[in-house]
Amino acid sequence: MDYLLHILVMVALYAILAGSFNLLIGFSGLFALSHAAFFGVGAYTTAILATSWGLPFPWPLFAGIAIAALVGLAIGLPALRVGGEYLVIITLALQIIAVAVMLNWTSLTGGTQGIGNVPRVWIGDLPLDTAGRFLPLAVAVAALSLWCAWRLGASPFGRALRAMRENEAAAQAVGKNVVAMKLLVFAISAGIASVAGGLYAHYIAFVSAVSFTIETTIYILAMVILGGTGNLAGSVLGAAILVVLPELLKFVDLPPDIADKLRQVMYGVILIVMLRLRPEGLLPEHDAKRARVPAGLGEGGLGPLAPPSAADGSVTVEGRDLMKSFGGIVAVQDFSIDLRRGRIVGLIGPNGAGKTTAFNLLTGFLRPNAGGVRFRGETVSGRAPHAIVRAGMARSFQDLKLFRKMTVLDNVRVALPNQRGDRLFDVYFRPWVVKAEERENLNRAMAVLRFVGLEAQAGELAENLSYAEEKLLVIARLLATGAEVLLFDEPLSGLDPGTMEGIFPIIRRLAEQGKTICIIEHNLDVIRGLCDWAVFLDEGRKIAEGTPETLIADPVLAERYFK
Amino acid sequence: MDLVLQLFVNGVINGSHYALLGVGFGIIFGPTKITHFAYGPIFAIGAYGCWATATMLGLPVAAAAVCGVLAAVLAGVLSYLWLYRPFERRGSSHLVVLIASLGLFITLENLIGILFGTDTKVIPDISPGIFLWGPVVVTSIQLWQVAALAIVALLLFAFLRWARHGKALMAMTDNGEMAQIIGIDTVRVSLIAFAVGSAVAAVPAILILLKEGATPHMGFIAVFMAFVAVIVGGIGSFKGAIIGGYAVGIVENLGMWKLPTEWQSTIAFVVLFLILLFRPSGLFGRRLR
Repeated sequence: MDYLLHILVMVALYAILAGSFNLLIGFSGLFALSHAAFFGVGAYTTAILATSWGLPFPWPLFAGIAIAALVGLAIGLPALRVGGEYLVIITLALQIIAVAVMLNWTSLTGGTQGIGNVPRVWIGDLPLDTAGRFLPLAVAVAALSLWCAWRLGASPFGRALRAMRENEAAAQAVGKNVVAMKLLVFAISAGIASVAGGLYAHYIAFVSAVSFTIETTIYILAMVILGGTGNLAGSVLGAAILVVLPELLKFVDLPPDIADKLRQVMYGVILIVMLRLRPEGLLPEHDAKRARVPAGLGEGGLGPLAPPSAADGSVTVEGRDLMKSFGGIVAVQDFSIDLRRGRIVGLIGPNGAGKTTAFNLLTGFLRPNAGGVRFRGETVSGRAPHAIVRAGMARSFQDLKLFRKMTVLDNVRVALPNQRGDRLFDVYFRPWVVKAEERENLNRAMAVLRFVGLEAQAGELAENLSYAEEKLLVIARLLATGAEVLLFDEPLSGLDPGTMEGIFPIIRRLAEQGKTICIIEHNLDVIRGLCDWAVFLDEGRKIAEGTPETLIADPVLAERYFK
Repeated sequence: MDLVLQLFVNGVINGSHYALLGVGFGIIFGPTKITHFAYGPIFAIGAYGCWATATMLGLPVAAAAVCGVLAAVLAGVLSYLWLYRPFERRGSSHLVVLIASLGLFITLENLIGILFGTDTKVIPDISPGIFLWGPVVVTSIQLWQVAALAIVALLLFAFLRWARHGKALMAMTDNGEMAQIIGIDTVRVSLIAFAVGSAVAAVPAILILLKEGATPHMGFIAVFMAFVAVIVGGIGSFKGAIIGGYAVGIVENLGMWKLPTEWQSTIAFVVLFLILLFRPSGLFGRRLR
């Protein structure tokens, strides 16, 4: 009986670990290998504070959270600047260092001996010294920890995390501060993992470095993959299965050393087999039933985007003498452009002329080597892309960069400006504010989808859309940012004339309602039919500008264009 | 001063070892972009292959070493064909492939442990020569570690420079999509990369077997140091991997002038941390756009 209860306690502890790891890997796409280290930080902090300092529960637990979160932040700083493989190696290094410190800082950690006789948790006069007595505490703390993780994942902040996972540049382009998000989620995940460590120390009453090695990280990883990335219920299920399954090996008569190795082989094989046969896990993130959107939302329409009188042609964006070179190759030079409210400016030129580079310079995705950008009279060059979007200047990408594993609705919802649910304080301490805002935003997002004609696809995953629908979703997402200046990078390329005709009026209506618009386009018919003004770029320089008619009629430009 | 000199020489020796590991890892990572964690256990397979043929079949060490290299090559090629290739074909993300490689890592490492046991395997009756150069002591195996890097690096240089497949491998390292467009058979080049990289990995593995003996866990620190050498030197640069390996080896040994030995890997980590902080693309990497 005690044995069964012990297994349940371990399930609760590993559910905390798998859930918090899922926040990093599943929700945020940040691949860290240091989860066992954070588990260990929590365990050692509790063991040291409770044993040497006599601190009572739950204070060591809180100290562990703080220390783990700080370590997470410190390690994250350099790695998050670059990401990808670098994050893997930095966190792997942290994992090795953590174990080295546990083994070698003997005066603090007891070295290879570990720390024994960790005091039990006392509830009144009752010591929680058996599995049965400890279980309620473990379950309660696990429930609380998973609630924290779930609250985060289900909030607008969690939606932004998933957007960042799907495409970092696109997340920035809808105004998300990805660096801050990464650091926060890193600290939170580490903090929650340390809670499991604190409980573990009190429960087993002994900690030693062997429990917190890279093998433990892989063990937790197997739980996350088995259960399903991006789904916390999956992590609980994965933890339950992978705690119980190896116990079955105990019924086979094997030397303990071999049994332990077989367990590890089992985790490895489960990882590989799951990724091959069911990469989304037992409980996938996307659930078509849950994603269904109630009818009748957003019927009120978008409302006026701006006061109609605003489409007055006044200059909102001034790019001045922009220059950008990549290692000696000049991509854009002496580029100046004015964008006006209510007007559509076309940026044309042959392939490689520097059009997309110009967009990147205007929107802060690239820093110019010289020159500057002013928006409503204020210099914005030098600011981060997400800050420029929040100020009111947003762009789309030629290669779309949709958030593919998110629904159409969420692609739009994540882009809505100024969300309180992006702030963790509001997520945890003012949930009612976030909830009310979510209702409003759902309506607003549906109105945007109606505006482009995608309301019927709201619950679909973006990756299931047709190409034309993808293009519409790009427009919807850009529009949802609420930005005053919209820069479209080839919004119509690759579409058949019929679909194109459908998108024309959308863009024109945006201009009529006072948006400032700039589009990159190859199709001269589009330029003629849509734009009020055209700028011709070639070899990184502005060759000419004027009305589309005059530019197209110019034989010199025509030759450059078709050369 | 004598101590510093000895530590510096040790640093050069360890640096050669890391550089060799980094080169093997880089040969695979460069063209395929696969974060091949199973490089660690395949390194171990090289050592165990050598040990098994030397002690069980009684082959002379040189012949056994060849068997070790062949065992590693076989394991590397199979890991690409059976594990990574299906994921590539499906267009899986880097992350998925990386997790799969971790799965293979832990599976192979523990299978080695089950097959051979966890005790340290040594080849008996090997007595390396010891040389005294003034205050500095080196063994013949340590000299071999330095020589192995020189030999392997020269062979690789020639291969990458002049052989058809070597040139294709460099092209794919530079730009995989472009390589495919100009008609390079990327699957075959990937196979060659895995074969060559695994063969390179087996060389330092066998030298470690002769020096300290083999354990199932030996692959973990090997793949870690290989990874560090590549990152410090800069992804996509073979020269970088060699210099990265030496940089880490020398710094961590000189660090022991003031610090106890058990903190050795911590020093490597601090170097890594500082480099990523100030030069995110490594010492010789191309600038990230």
